[in-house]
Amino acid sequence: MKSYLGPLNRDNPILTQTLGVCSALAVTAQLKPAVVMALSVTVVCAISNLIISLIRNTIPPRVRIIVQLLVVSTLVIMVDQVLQATFYDVSKMLSVFVGLIITNCIIMGRLEGFALSHTPGASLVDGLMNGLGYGLVLVVVAIFRELLGSGTLWNHQLIPSSFYESGYLNNGLMILPPMALILVGGLVWIQQGTRKSSEK
Amino acid sequence: MRTFSNRYIFIYITAMVSIIALLLTLVSLGLKPLRENNQQIEKAQQILKAAGYGKTNKKEAIALFNEVSERNNLNGEEAYNIQCADGTQGHVLYVKGKGLWGPIWGYVVLSEDFTTVKGVVFAHKSETPGLGDRITEDAFQQAFIGKKLYDKNGKFVSVRVLPAGKDSGISDDNRVDAISGATLTSKGVDEMMRRLTVDN
Repeated sequence: MKSYLGPLNRDNPILTQTLGVCSALAVTAQLKPAVVMALSVTVVCAISNLIISLIRNTIPPRVRIIVQLLVVSTLVIMVDQVLQATFYDVSKMLSVFVGLIITNCIIMGRLEGFALSHTPGASLVDGLMNGLGYGLVLVVVAIFRELLGSGTLWNHQLIPSSFYESGYLNNGLMILPPMALILVGGLVWIQQGTRKSSEK
Repeated sequence: MRTFSNRYIFIYITAMVSIIALLLTLVSLGLKPLRENNQQIEKAQQILKAAGYGKTNKKEAIALFNEVSERNNLNGEEAYNIQCADGTQGHVLYVKGKGLWGPIWGYVVLSEDFTTVKGVVFAHKSETPGLGDRITEDAFQQAFIGKKLYDKNGKFVSVRVLPAGKDSGISDDNRVDAISGATLTSKGVDEMMRRLTVDN
């Protein structure tokens, strides 16, 4: 069971495998789109892992990348359609990044590296865990960026107006993408630094 | 490892693609009513914003829009007569054009005599986040407020979108600054505005 929890910290897709960083920078200015994005990637990763694992013995090796792409694209389009029907304003905020989930290396990486050679049950769990590991990083970065950059969290004002009156200012740099990269770097630093030296 | 014949591969991919096409069509059709409802609400919110009503609640937007505007077909195109937030009557014209990556469109709210812009709202499908996507920002859209469609000699010039600092013989009343870094999207907006037809 311990190895299943790997993607949450030790083998975190963003912090350790350095995959999927681009979308992590773009959608984390606020918490709400970050959570929606994290859930979308988790759903796509888990279900595509499951499907590919189920049909893994029927896929001709010569076209396996094509088949993987077909499965991932279909799932992403379905997620996009569902988002437009339910969380329309968030889907606008995520704009092209929902479509770009197809190119997210985490998903293709897990399909190639795990789903093709493991049972459906294990693949489903692997997809879920990697998606959640990705989501965890997104949520942490988004909390920093929204709280310090806009004083809000999930669009609810958290920094009281008395702070603003005493001269507190929102940190505008937090809302810009480069700050997301710096925060991810900081998280990598903390994660690597707290590893037991035997694992390094 | 079993070898897959070409015939197998061909049938496999054909079957897969057919199933996927069917699935996606069903999902898209099934979710269409919800999606279109969201798009109607967004349109109402955008036009109300351009007419000076500020941000409207999703639940009230359509009701308010129907209350203050009525459909009228200028030259067979989509248009509305609207009562603006400041009490004056205005006209809403729909404009559409080509951005860098896909379609762009918008609604221009004009004064009753069709000479002055009271507000604009622009939208796009897939312009670059952070660059072309900035045509949706308040800063860009509010620059259009108060601009005139006719120059000092009474000639129709529309509101041009031109790079800042370039002297092109167009008076300040008839132009706004293009977005730096978004040359082609800005050109798309410029071209879209030039095709505005006001036969009154």
